[in-house]
Amino acid sequence: MAVTTYSSTSVRFRQKTTTRWLVRGLGVLILALVAWRVVTVGLAEGYPATFWMSQLINGLVLGGVYALVALGYTLVYGILLMINFAHGDVMMIGGFTGFFALQFFMALGWLQGPAALVALALILIVAAGMFGSVLTGVTLERVAYRPLRGAPRLVPLISAIGASLFLQYSVLLIFGVSPRVYQKPALIEGGFRAGGVFVPYTGLIIFVTSLFLMLMLYLIVQRTKLGRAMRAVAEDKGTAALMGIDVDRVIVFTFILGSALAGAAGVMLGFHNTVVKFNSGFIPGLKAFTAAVLGGIGNIPGAMVGALLLGVIEAIGPSALGIPTEYKDIIAFTVLVLILIFRPSGLLGEVVSEKRA
Amino acid sequence: MLLPSVQRGLRIGAIAFAILTYLVLVGLPLRLGDLALPILAGAMALFFWLALRGGKSKQDVFNRQPALLFTAGLSGGLTAGLLIAALLAVFVNLTSSGVRLQPIFDKMTPPNLAALYGVAPGAIVGGELSPLAWLQQALLLTVASGVGAALVLVERWARGRPTPRISALRWIPLLLPIALFLFVLWLGMPGVTFGGNNRGTIRLLAAMVTIGAGILALRAAHPGRERQLLSLLYLAGVAYLPFTLDQFQNSVLGIVFIFVMMGLGLNIVVGFAGLLDLGYVAFFAIGAYMYAFLSAPFSSPWLSAQLQSLGIPANAPLLSFWMALPITMLAGWIGGVLLGIPVLRLRGDYLAIVTLGFGEIIRLFMLNLAELTNGPRGLLNIAPPYLFGYNLGNPRDIFILGLIGSAVIAFSAYRLDNSRLGRAWIAMREDQDVAQATGVNLVRTKLLAFAIGALFAALAGQLYAARQTNIFPENFSLFVSIDALSLVIVGGMGSIPGVVLGALALKGLPEVLRGVDEYRIVTFAALLVTMMIVRPEGIIPSTRRRRELHEEAEPVVGEDVPSVLERLAPELKSDNPDGGKK
Repeated sequence: MAVTTYSSTSVRFRQKTTTRWLVRGLGVLILALVAWRVVTVGLAEGYPATFWMSQLINGLVLGGVYALVALGYTLVYGILLMINFAHGDVMMIGGFTGFFALQFFMALGWLQGPAALVALALILIVAAGMFGSVLTGVTLERVAYRPLRGAPRLVPLISAIGASLFLQYSVLLIFGVSPRVYQKPALIEGGFRAGGVFVPYTGLIIFVTSLFLMLMLYLIVQRTKLGRAMRAVAEDKGTAALMGIDVDRVIVFTFILGSALAGAAGVMLGFHNTVVKFNSGFIPGLKAFTAAVLGGIGNIPGAMVGALLLGVIEAIGPSALGIPTEYKDIIAFTVLVLILIFRPSGLLGEVVSEKRA
Repeated sequence: MLLPSVQRGLRIGAIAFAILTYLVLVGLPLRLGDLALPILAGAMALFFWLALRGGKSKQDVFNRQPALLFTAGLSGGLTAGLLIAALLAVFVNLTSSGVRLQPIFDKMTPPNLAALYGVAPGAIVGGELSPLAWLQQALLLTVASGVGAALVLVERWARGRPTPRISALRWIPLLLPIALFLFVLWLGMPGVTFGGNNRGTIRLLAAMVTIGAGILALRAAHPGRERQLLSLLYLAGVAYLPFTLDQFQNSVLGIVFIFVMMGLGLNIVVGFAGLLDLGYVAFFAIGAYMYAFLSAPFSSPWLSAQLQSLGIPANAPLLSFWMALPITMLAGWIGGVLLGIPVLRLRGDYLAIVTLGFGEIIRLFMLNLAELTNGPRGLLNIAPPYLFGYNLGNPRDIFILGLIGSAVIAFSAYRLDNSRLGRAWIAMREDQDVAQATGVNLVRTKLLAFAIGALFAALAGQLYAARQTNIFPENFSLFVSIDALSLVIVGGMGSIPGVVLGALALKGLPEVLRGVDEYRIVTFAALLVTMMIVRPEGIIPSTRRRRELHEEAEPVVGEDVPSVLERLAPELKSDNPDGGKK
């Protein structure tokens, strides 16, 4: 894992032994309570196994989308040590661009054509979404973040919050309040049954595409020259610059990568939720951030694992705990808080909540 | 040398084009009406001025030679003008050939386009625009860029001259608020017809400017007897304001000062202690709901059932406003500590996200715990405050209560800032580890910051509930937190007068300028980003904060008191503290 860990050295926070054991004990207690609740309430409801399976599939599909967004957070955090608060909204812009591309191909009649044409159109729609997001992400970096490099840490964060609101409400003003409805092409409507569990085609496509894009990202970061430069900059900006790496260019490239993934996620989330509107990036963005923290922020495999895990927790959580589904957002936030308290390093990462800028 | 300046012009022109396109897409021309074209051109002239003057260094060749400056400016204006004219032509052609743009772009209606061209909407639909109208756009922007370039020259010329120092000028900012106050009084006199239908709005605006100018004047005054005298004068003036303003004006200022109370509390958490709290609305909500439970228990199904089983009639308030005060304060305090404990170990951005999550959790609970909070139907018929039998629920008295509350909180915040605890907060904000090493008890200091901040927010919440008499979960959305945060940041983090100024600007102005409400959040957002880039320390920075963010030499205290005008002029410095490792 040493090769893929994507953050610089950190200062480990030393606690008194008693406090540490107290915190650990509390963590175990909470886990035990959750387990008790699951056994006594969730399992006692007596849902069939196929129900849990289909929830699991839902969770994995959603987790795949979250993973793409979470990677954007992780990449930027790894290099700039900054939470790109507007990343969820970059994703939303990708969703909008993808929607207009979808309308365009619908008007051309490609989506009613033969399978090959539909596939090509779908790829182009995702590409359009990626393009829209990349444009937004790069502009954002140039306008709102680059002038603040080296400022105290609160400053770029506030700027990012401003940028997030600006993107959301600009979209509201430009495109209006009414949500845009993604219409699926007839070809990918429906699904198939595997062992009594219904698997929708869109879910399968989303999951496979996410895995493919993650693999591409992994290859870019690990195997290309720019990827090596990215890792070098993440390790130490100053030294990287001395080695002849153009740090600004690498940062822009990082934003391009992250935004492209977010754009693809935006389009796929559009197909998954069937609608996209001005604030539809906000909550998924927060959840993707949760996923990135869950896996250990700054850590690429961590973001993927964390996102899949969070997707599954969110999908089966309400039924397993026997609480109404309206509370599923609360589950994600609670997971975030608990992770930050009990294991700030995330599942695969090192301690970062105490890291110094 | 000519080619680079043209290149620079093209770049500036492209940015101007992007900005203009944005403004057209969000429907600003429609909002501005007949004046759309001149206002946009004026704004563009300002933009060109800022873009052209912003050379990185003094050696910037474009700033030396007027010819190159104008080449850059005019080529930029021409680029922007031609591009925007072409884009608008496309829109007009699409509209006139029957394509409905509205399903895609919400604001691209014929009236919007027509406002920009200065023609009737019918001309757009019918496609009756002459090429002249298109040329007009291009020419106007070129002229605007020329004006911008000229402004750069004028500015440089003015900078080169020694500034005259007339000591009597110092009295202008000091006496300005008094003049404004008299203006407000004069407007309120019967028989004055100044301003016609807009008299009330002008009066409200003038009243708000008076308060703002008073704060700036106090800062410009010499410390000592002069400042004491002025503050007494202003205090008397502000205390008199509620009795002369009408209901609407009082109610606007009432909400402004409720936000001042809240902002002062957030200022402790964010400004003093450096803990970025994005879920601050949670404490505001705790205060409001706590008072609502105590005052209108009959609105909550669960509470009224409980009370009935205890044999207490549930159709009247349990406690009066004043009796409820300590309880809401205690609730705020406990809420702050409860939120503080889990986030003790978090810093900066993590803290922001977690507190944001907490704010949302509280709101979701208010929405879904219908048994206790009556869900989205809200808690109704909350009692206003009474004093010796007098109902203090009218806008005037709420404004007075807001003023008193703000004064009390501001005084406490001021005393805290200069206390041992305040210094511990600042030490913690600067460097947590060093603070701990020098003996600051981090747990206690952090929890106190959260608790005191939350207490003030709960107070504001109680006053808010008493003002509204009905409260609903949507009153406590994330945007209340964002509003409070923006006013603290715009005013100046850690600065007490800054909060008042920020609240007047961000809560008061949108209330006055009706119709721009649609653009409120976008403007805030743009303001937040711009503020962070241009002047991260806020309008009235606290001295410490300014030193921190601008590390260049500061004038020695007492040597030279900068005038108000100097303070107000945002120094558009491009010298960010450059990326030195911290």
